[in-house]
Amino acid sequence: MHRRHIILTSVVAAATLVLSACSSPSSSPTSTTGSSSTAQIVIDTTFDIKTIDPGREYEPTGQIVVKALYDTLLTFADDDTTTVIPDLATYTANADLTQFTFTLAPGRVFADGSPVTADDVVFSLQRLEGMKGNPSFLLDGVTVTKVDDSTIQLTTTDPNPALPATLATPSAGIMNSKVVKDNGGTTDETDAAETFLNENSAGSGPYVLKTMDVASQVVLTKNPAYNGPQTATYDTVILRNVEPATQKMNVERGDAQIALGLSPDQVASLASTVKVESTPSATVVFLLLNADPTVNAYTADPQCVKAIKEAIDYPSLLELAGAGASQATGLVPTGFLGALPASDELTFDLAAATSNAAACGIAGQKVTLSFPNDIDPTGLSLSTLAQRIQVQLQAAGITVDLAPAPFATEIDPYRTGKEQIGLWYWNPDYMDPANYLAFGPGQSVGLRAGWQADADPTIADLVAQAYTTGDETQRQTLFEEWGKAMNADSPFIPLIQPGSNVAHQPSVTNVYYNPTWLINVAGLGAA
Amino acid sequence: MSQDSVRPDTAESPSPSSTLTRGRRSHSSLVRYLARRLIITAVLLVGITLVTFTLTNLVPGDPVAAALGQRAADDPAIVAQFRAQYGLDKSLPEQYWAYLTRLAHLNLGTSWQTHRPVAQDLARAIPATMEIALSAIVMAIIVGLVLGAVSAYRRGRISDQVLRLISLLGISLPTFWTAILVFYIFYYKLGIAPGSGRLSPGMPAPPHVTGMYTLDALLAGQGETFVDAAAHLALPSLVLTLYTVGLLTRFSRMSFLEVLDKDFVRAARAKGLPGHTVFFRYVLRAAAIPILTMVGLAFGSLLSGTVLVESIFSWPGLGSYAYQAASKLDLLAVMGVGLFVGVVYLGINLVVDVLYGFIDPRVKVG
Repeated sequence: MHRRHIILTSVVAAATLVLSACSSPSSSPTSTTGSSSTAQIVIDTTFDIKTIDPGREYEPTGQIVVKALYDTLLTFADDDTTTVIPDLATYTANADLTQFTFTLAPGRVFADGSPVTADDVVFSLQRLEGMKGNPSFLLDGVTVTKVDDSTIQLTTTDPNPALPATLATPSAGIMNSKVVKDNGGTTDETDAAETFLNENSAGSGPYVLKTMDVASQVVLTKNPAYNGPQTATYDTVILRNVEPATQKMNVERGDAQIALGLSPDQVASLASTVKVESTPSATVVFLLLNADPTVNAYTADPQCVKAIKEAIDYPSLLELAGAGASQATGLVPTGFLGALPASDELTFDLAAATSNAAACGIAGQKVTLSFPNDIDPTGLSLSTLAQRIQVQLQAAGITVDLAPAPFATEIDPYRTGKEQIGLWYWNPDYMDPANYLAFGPGQSVGLRAGWQADADPTIADLVAQAYTTGDETQRQTLFEEWGKAMNADSPFIPLIQPGSNVAHQPSVTNVYYNPTWLINVAGLGAA
Repeated sequence: MSQDSVRPDTAESPSPSSTLTRGRRSHSSLVRYLARRLIITAVLLVGITLVTFTLTNLVPGDPVAAALGQRAADDPAIVAQFRAQYGLDKSLPEQYWAYLTRLAHLNLGTSWQTHRPVAQDLARAIPATMEIALSAIVMAIIVGLVLGAVSAYRRGRISDQVLRLISLLGISLPTFWTAILVFYIFYYKLGIAPGSGRLSPGMPAPPHVTGMYTLDALLAGQGETFVDAAAHLALPSLVLTLYTVGLLTRFSRMSFLEVLDKDFVRAARAKGLPGHTVFFRYVLRAAAIPILTMVGLAFGSLLSGTVLVESIFSWPGLGSYAYQAASKLDLLAVMGVGLFVGVVYLGINLVVDVLYGFIDPRVKVG
């Protein structure tokens, strides 16, 4: 009996190993299709994808996919995120930036060969605005009208210098209106095209959708009808949902060519055969000190706020953030118009902090620092950061109790302005500094800190001007003034601008990080 | 399993004339028993939905805030549309009643994380988990019973001590650690196992029949896909097998030891029956009931989802789905998973209870 069962066990074990060995362990670009070295590319990331309907998606993974499937009127070059350039259209604007006229590039077609028309643009943008999906706010106050078959006009109620950058986000992708309407698409809340758009693409982008599984992978293939300015190198793009530790092994072994979700620690220990593109991300990690005295009298006291700003040893926080990270000079991150130079960043002064903390009475008191403990913006652990801040504030006599909670739980008290001190981060919705004006008094993020519109008229006035000024030089000056004022007097403390690390095989070239769509797969090259 | 539902029959010898009548009576009692259990199961499932619904809504936090982006959540029109779309604008009792009404039509609602029907999500995730669970439990039963028998037969010897130590390790080692270790060794260092996922990149999935790629590939006659799917299945299955083998080895050893000391086993040996006859006809059959109980529990546990193993091997199964749903306060998805897990445990309980009667004639249902 024993011998027989030992044999059986051995057979099972051997079968397991044979099956493992029979399978190709590597998916290098030439291994699975055997055609050319640019047959396919595998990109590993951690999925947060819910949908790839442009009018509804608003998650980083969805942005990667939608960017590849749908062209937008305007876009950014891979290596320059400051200047909008034409994609499907060129544009002009009136002097007060309330009327934008777009002229479609001639000859551009959707994947089914039909031409991209003004009707398609009007439908796509009206649908984005009217469905009240996640990204609908992007076109709040914008009216879209057709002028003629190749001309579209966008009118805004207030001057809107950020509109061109807004239209470069993948959510503003232009769809084949006939196809979408045939599958339930409308421009209001009754739209029912999402299911179709999660299984098919209806754009004019360099790729078309082959398959999508929100839990495991998205497969894109080259759009044979594409006639835009980009030249897609890879015939097939496979975007996989992979946990970061596994991503590291996959990219080191060449099973994946790009890994997008590695933490700073993982990047630091990567094999030398893997290249890393480290650039500052557009994310800003900040502290919020509630200005509402009913939430906490000490965090609402400007002298206590000053003490906390002085008590933080900013350079030492960078040790936690890894490659590519830098101290946030202000709330507008470097790379955006109006970002402050390093000379304007907040500085550590323990003696002043101790003195101010004692004078305002916060020394010896306890305040609570809340933060989400299951979200790591660009690999930076907020838990570790909160612990370091706790120690630094303690040195100035300020005692902080840490209150970590899952994101889904903590987001509510943050949004409703109930946190005494909050540790959070902000990603841009589009590539324009107007994003960050939300931190102003009476603005959406400002209110989360209990900072009412009348709390600081000077800063409120700068916000109003920055929103509507179109001249680039004046705009830059306004944003810089606003940034300095925020550093000095706001209840927000910009801490870190984490790095963005994209690990890739040397065989892949033109790897650029973009704050909105992370990576443009059509722009990737092959060595 | 549910011990109150099975009881030893009286040890009377049936007369030949009463055999047919007794068979009919036994058949109808089994039908009555199954009907009663199914009714109880339905009531329990409603109870599960109520508990899951209540607990999910007790968790602090607003699902709208968790589901929408930062700017969208500040837009009252977008928030209103989201609440209306998912029925969150109604009172909790109304929401629960709407859920039960939909459930009666086998509609589990729509996940606000995947924007797809929960039933569709489960139909995708369950076969992926089922594939690992089935392969792991089959391997574990074979290996665990063999090792348990060897260990029991060689009680107190070195081989017994070694096997007990191995089974202890199998139970004690955290599965996530074992998963990382085997992935690191067989994939990363040795390169003899494929990477993460259910198939190699670029390998098309076989036509959907069961959702289990190995089986579907066989049914479609796709040899290459079958080998690839089986190779990807090997490591996650091995990790779960190791744990379950440890469990079954210890439990089966204990059960075998208990039976080996019984008089009827001694009598069989004294009659000069060969060792394999004694084992298969007497020992295994007598020890089967407690082992079957443990197998049922282990299988239920595997089917309920193995979050960390699925995460490390990028296996899009039920565990990963449940974790994502819970962390995003995706109420309907959480309830769907809770309902499925309830069905699994209740179903396995039922099957095991019925099997008791087939394994041991002294046990009857009813």
